[in-house]
Amino acid sequence: MNAAEELKNFLPGSVISTGLQLNKPMAVIKKEELLKAAGKAKEMGFDHLSVITGIDYKDHFEVIYNFFSYSKKQNLALKVNLDHDKPEVDSLTSLWKGADWLERETFDLVGIKFIGHPNLIRILLPDGWNGHPLRKDYDMNSEQFVTVGENGDDIVSPDGTNLLRRK
Amino acid sequence: MLFLAMWTGDIMFANTYELIVFILNYIGIYDPIYKVFESFGLEYLLRIIIVLVEIAALFVFILLTVMFLTWMERKVVAMVQARYGPMVTGPRGLLQPVMDGVKLIGKEDIIPAKADRWVFTLAPFLIFIPALLIFIPLPFGESLIISDLNVGLLYIIAISAISPIAILMAGWASNNKYSLMGAMRAVAQDISYTIPLALSAIAVVLFTGSLSTVDIVTAQSGTWFGFIPKWFIFLQPLGFILFLIASIAEMGRIPFDFQESESELVAGFFTEYSGMKFAMFFLAEYAHLFSVSAIVVTLFLGGWSVPFLNFIPAVLVPLVSLGVFLVKTYAIIFFAMWLRDTVPRMRIDQLLNLGWKIMIPLALLNLLVTALLLTAGVFK
Amino acid sequence: MESDELIINMGPVHPSTHGVLRFKLRMDGESIKECTPVIGYLHRGTEKIGEMKTYLQFIPYTDRLDYISAFPNNYAFVKAVEELAGIEVPIRAEYIRVLTMELNRIVNHLVAIGSLLMDLGAATMIMWGFRERENALQLFEMLCGARMTFNYIKPGGVREDIPEGFMPKLNEFLKDMEKRIVDYEQLINGNEIFHMRMKNIGVINAKDAVNFGWTGPTLRGSGVDYDLRKYEPYSIYPDLDFKVCVRNEGDSFARFIVRIDEMKESLHILRQVVDNMPVSKVISSAEYGIAPMTGTPTAVSTYFPRIFTPPAGEVYSRIEAPKGELGFYVVSDGTTKPYRVKIRSPSFCNLTAIPSLVKGLKIGDLIAAFGTIDVVLGDVDR
Repeated sequence: MNAAEELKNFLPGSVISTGLQLNKPMAVIKKEELLKAAGKAKEMGFDHLSVITGIDYKDHFEVIYNFFSYSKKQNLALKVNLDHDKPEVDSLTSLWKGADWLERETFDLVGIKFIGHPNLIRILLPDGWNGHPLRKDYDMNSEQFVTVGENGDDIVSPDGTNLLRRK
Repeated sequence: MLFLAMWTGDIMFANTYELIVFILNYIGIYDPIYKVFESFGLEYLLRIIIVLVEIAALFVFILLTVMFLTWMERKVVAMVQARYGPMVTGPRGLLQPVMDGVKLIGKEDIIPAKADRWVFTLAPFLIFIPALLIFIPLPFGESLIISDLNVGLLYIIAISAISPIAILMAGWASNNKYSLMGAMRAVAQDISYTIPLALSAIAVVLFTGSLSTVDIVTAQSGTWFGFIPKWFIFLQPLGFILFLIASIAEMGRIPFDFQESESELVAGFFTEYSGMKFAMFFLAEYAHLFSVSAIVVTLFLGGWSVPFLNFIPAVLVPLVSLGVFLVKTYAIIFFAMWLRDTVPRMRIDQLLNLGWKIMIPLALLNLLVTALLLTAGVFK
Repeated sequence: MESDELIINMGPVHPSTHGVLRFKLRMDGESIKECTPVIGYLHRGTEKIGEMKTYLQFIPYTDRLDYISAFPNNYAFVKAVEELAGIEVPIRAEYIRVLTMELNRIVNHLVAIGSLLMDLGAATMIMWGFRERENALQLFEMLCGARMTFNYIKPGGVREDIPEGFMPKLNEFLKDMEKRIVDYEQLINGNEIFHMRMKNIGVINAKDAVNFGWTGPTLRGSGVDYDLRKYEPYSIYPDLDFKVCVRNEGDSFARFIVRIDEMKESLHILRQVVDNMPVSKVISSAEYGIAPMTGTPTAVSTYFPRIFTPPAGEVYSRIEAPKGELGFYVVSDGTTKPYRVKIRSPSFCNLTAIPSLVKGLKIGDLIAAFGTIDVVLGDVDR
């Protein structure tokens, strides 16, 4: 019995379906029960949170968590479906400290809000950037210009006429 | 003739002034010149002129040595790191210091807007001049000493203690809080290592009974069992090690150079200096390196004395002793440069820990043991 | 002059090889009260580019992630694609891949050790390390024409076979490297000052390390015995015999020694690979490939198609890169370009722990601890 089936046995209400992510067990979790399911997975021995992936399918968002257990040497993936207008999900920073930056990056690039995150600000892009680049409806033709302000903070503006540019 | 005989081991002339007067007398031109000056009633002026010539020669010698040391440092570091070092300027890169000097002279001399102009400009000089003044009581060879002060060693240590003032001046006048912090740290390092330095030097004085550097060197002449020279390094091994470490720490070389490490985020107290003022700091550092090695050689390695000097005609002894002195000094300098490439640097708190908690007790212990052994009559 | 709290900025430009990383430090006298890393200066949008290029066109972009060890980056992506599309790889190609990856591991650890020691003040180590690295880079150039960004590992195998003269030179390199590692150990292990700077700095225990998501040599320095090459083996690692280097103390010195031990293990693996290199094709052919080139049987390579469509699905595959666990999450929707490529980079996940690792240390310790975590900004910012 693979790990996803076990999880379904423990929390039948939270797990919508189980399947395979190519060859790793994957369970699709209800959005509200994510924290409980992740806590259960941690109890089951999955102590290594490998990656948090946010994907923009055009009608919904998906967030996929890949776990690994050092003691049992097994993989587990949890998937959460979010609706397109309001992509919010609970943050796992209370269970894994490493989830901090992974969630900030997902917020930064895909635009998914993590409720309960202590410091959800942009990490890779400058602070005032508009838009979330990895969304499919991001406008690749718009330009934003970044300069450095007084104490080293970034200033982002779509207007670059006061910068030196060769035409 | 006195100077064709074998050297007997006694110092022929007390200092270089007397050596020059003897040479002029031998050539025969001393008396006419003296009479010329006497006719004006200015006999003392001749003495002043001769001494000024000596000092000018010393000055030129030190500046050339310092330039050579910058080249040598780069070559030694390159040798250890399996590369060549400067090779392009001049044969084997020997003109590199000249080119560096030309570059630094050509740079714009910037003084920060709110800095204290006079203090800012004086600070480099105040570091450089003591580095030159230290050479006065140092015996470069037999009877090659500018002035054999009775309190030579005390004078040397006192002059070395001027540098914290200059460092604070440089740090304060830059009007930059990071420079001031860097200056205070450098001063803390300086004064905490002056104490073991002085204590180890005093242990040597217990053997000679005199602070004069010439007496210290002559006390190290001769041999035991016919082949071990009577250098103080064999009588005072702990003192030698402590003195060497303390001098390397005074100079601010690796492993004690946290000032220049990027981990301090600031370049230390000479951040705001550019051009020739910056060059003065660096020249002062190398002059300091040379003088400190010379002091180590004088105190512990026998200065210019070496057992086979007795078999040399007296006229050649000054030159040969100068050569011996330079060989020994360069050996210590090479060791300091070699140390720089091999070890990483220490953190400031580990450094101060070493200075206060380990080296001062050891230096005091050294002094105690030396005094006990001397009073017990172990060394006559 | 206030002396209780000072905000210092360790700027994006450093005199060391880590890259553009900025630390905002709040200091209390000499100790650090709070440290905030600011990253993103090297962000190039690699994940977005992955959605716009075909699978083969994306491989050069993976080179530029962790530019010091580029072969494992290539391989991680290619492994994900091969799993997704079900491509089989000839055995010789697997051996060549492992050869290049282990060679790259040695190079990477040389640079890591060298820059750590240069930050601490002993500039000799980086010069010696780069002298060895030069030999390795010449080997790479012989193999694929490039010194740092290779674009050599493709889905289906590798691009070209090993040229003549590569094996003797590789053997020479291995012999040389053994002697030099002894030199490095002598330079470092007997050095009292080095021990003072590195022992008990940046200590982290195994449970915290796993919680932070640490992997690779940094995790093995804290006592967790896990190496993806041994416990979830891929390629030909099941057939190779090597030890996993683990240390239990969890401080900077332990992480450093793990890297030196790993270099020795890599040499051991390389010798096994060189001794047992089989003879076969180096790239698998597909039924709609272009006509094969003629040549000697060991050098036959049929073209693998440049544009292919794996079936729709998603895969997460990870390998043991020199810096840690490098993972690629590839989502394919049945077209020639991936739908989403997500890169799990080891440097990014190792860097999360820095704020809590350096609380209460001095700035010199921040440099020592940060150097042992071995971060390359290309990997962090992607």
